[in-house]
Amino acid sequence: MKSLNIQSMAKCVTARAVRLWIFGLAVAGAITTLPAATPAAAHGERSQQAFLRMRTLNWYDVKWSKTELNVNDEMELTGKVHVFSGWPQAVAKPGESFLNVGEPGPVLIRKSAYVGEVPVPRTFSMDVGKDYEYKIVLKARRQGRYHVHVQINVKDGGPIVGPGQWITIKGDMKDFTNPVTLLEGSTIDLETYGITWTYIYHFFWMAAAAAWILYWFMTKGIIVRYWQVKAGKGAELIGQDEKRIGAITLAAVLLAVVVFYAAANKEFPRTLPMQAGLLTGISPIDEPRSTVAVQFKGGSYTVPGRELRIRVKVANNGKEPVRLGEFTSAGLRFLNPEVFTTRPDFPDYLLADRGLSVSDPNPIAPGETRDLEVIVQDARFDIERLSDLAYDTDSQFGGLLFFFSPSGERQKAEVGGPVIPRFQAGAAL
Amino acid sequence: MSASTETGSPAGKTWKSKEEFLGCVILTDWILLVILFAVLLGSFHIHYMLLAGDWDFWIDFKDRRMWPTVAPIVAMCFAAASQSFFWTRFRLPIGATTVVLALLVGEWINRYDNFWGWTFFPINLVFPSALIPMGFWLDIVLMISGSWLITAVVGGLGWGLLFYPINWPVLAQYHQAAEIDGVLLTLADLIGFNYVRTGTPEYIRMVERGTLRTFGKDVVPVAAFFSGFISMLVYFLWWNMGKWFSTTKYLEIEEV
Ligand SMILES: [Cu+2]
Repeated sequence: MKSLNIQSMAKCVTARAVRLWIFGLAVAGAITTLPAATPAAAHGERSQQAFLRMRTLNWYDVKWSKTELNVNDEMELTGKVHVFSGWPQAVAKPGESFLNVGEPGPVLIRKSAYVGEVPVPRTFSMDVGKDYEYKIVLKARRQGRYHVHVQINVKDGGPIVGPGQWITIKGDMKDFTNPVTLLEGSTIDLETYGITWTYIYHFFWMAAAAAWILYWFMTKGIIVRYWQVKAGKGAELIGQDEKRIGAITLAAVLLAVVVFYAAANKEFPRTLPMQAGLLTGISPIDEPRSTVAVQFKGGSYTVPGRELRIRVKVANNGKEPVRLGEFTSAGLRFLNPEVFTTRPDFPDYLLADRGLSVSDPNPIAPGETRDLEVIVQDARFDIERLSDLAYDTDSQFGGLLFFFSPSGERQKAEVGGPVIPRFQAGAAL
Repeated sequence: MSASTETGSPAGKTWKSKEEFLGCVILTDWILLVILFAVLLGSFHIHYMLLAGDWDFWIDFKDRRMWPTVAPIVAMCFAAASQSFFWTRFRLPIGATTVVLALLVGEWINRYDNFWGWTFFPINLVFPSALIPMGFWLDIVLMISGSWLITAVVGGLGWGLLFYPINWPVLAQYHQAAEIDGVLLTLADLIGFNYVRTGTPEYIRMVERGTLRTFGKDVVPVAAFFSGFISMLVYFLWWNMGKWFSTTKYLEIEEV
């Protein structure tokens, strides 16, 4: 999401500077900016603790249907997510989750979002240990190059950011439209709907307030009134004439309130309250039970070597021999080059296509149980700050292992558990 | 501006002429007004964003229960304090109007420059709550009654009751309904869904949460009355807070 690159920022600044300066008093602007939200400024996923990213949601099969779009074009962001069984105790369970997009402001708008077959404009519930499939339909709104992530916000757990991809949008935001058909049949453009009236209404009242203030300020000002109040003549400042002006003003204000209110009700006779509420009972992916069972037997992490070594006992209960092809965690994919002969299409910063090796490369035969040592080694492990695992309160790793059979079938197995950090190079497992 | 002579202030010694003296007073008045406005703007804006925050930022937080309860109550703090200052020291019936105008100027700069100018949230997602007619109400009740007690009771209640009706003329259009992927949404919900906020998940909305449900679908009046009553209490407290702060005793000058 660090896509507010210098160039586009500079362009944006020169074009808008004039307008913004005219509108904004510099001092007031500075004051008012303080408490304002500054969304999407940081590349959030790395700043989250490693155990949290590895052991909450395991993202896989993430796809961006396009990486280049014109303004108003649509794309799909799809994929699956495994809710880790060993969900950390420190994080609230995903009973209230929201399917979101990590992007620097609404540069693409979210037209639709689905989990399974269910549309999810609202918060939904997920169960630990299950897998869910999602689809987000995005429509390009603003020109530029942006890093777009899938993200699920978990209540009391925070945002859990999935893999991100660079998306280039060409064209001009001025041409963007967001047509919506109302229940009563007409179609509006939500991008601009009601904005002019909102300005008029607000600025009408603000002008009225300014007039009221200036009226009283221009008659006797501030200091003279202070002297008069201090001299005990305060009552003279507000006499019958002043009160009459006040009463007339108040009557006019209240009349305006009634007229505006009645006009709104006349123009929009059918309005509804906002719709809210938790969506429950969303079905997880319906898939046959994995025929490969994995048991974690211990592991270590060598900090200087950026190397995660884990021992697992793998039982193949299927009908075909299998080989370990991939370990995925926190959106990173570590591939075994002996299984993945071609490089899959995935963002480079998350794809370690030679990052996985196995102590015994021979396929595990049907019915066989074998002890394996799995070595995950790549600079990306460190760059994405997963090595910080050694400094977390809950130094347990987690992720998914994918096994492949000669016919191309994929078996998924969750793996996770405590790993011991080794701070010296060459330390034994 | 017509500064009257009845104050009888010393115009002879330091100033060459009465005109020069008056010119000086008027200039000081303007400087005072601008400074007061900026200070009120800055402090009230921070206060309001911290306490009303998301309810004021986003169209899909502006519900019938929480928003009309919270927004007037937290806005009352500065309105009461400002009235206490402007009324007791200057007999100026502009305390509440000034402070809500300052807040709205600050909010509009923030929404236009930051939310729209930098982050491209459409204005129909991020416009602030209207408050100005409430300011008129409070100021004129105080002016006509001349009593802060009456203002607290009558003004405070009206403050809470006026809030939803004065916002409705803008809000109504966004409460039209649409069917999106088979789901019923108001335009307010839909704007919030369409225009992605990475850090504002849907579950932090508090749409009509609460326990007072005895009055069926008439949610707003209940919230508005409740808000009005709390606004009264807040008024008492913050009128005195304002009084406490409107003093020159911190400045060691004999005559101001
Ligand atoms: Cu990113």
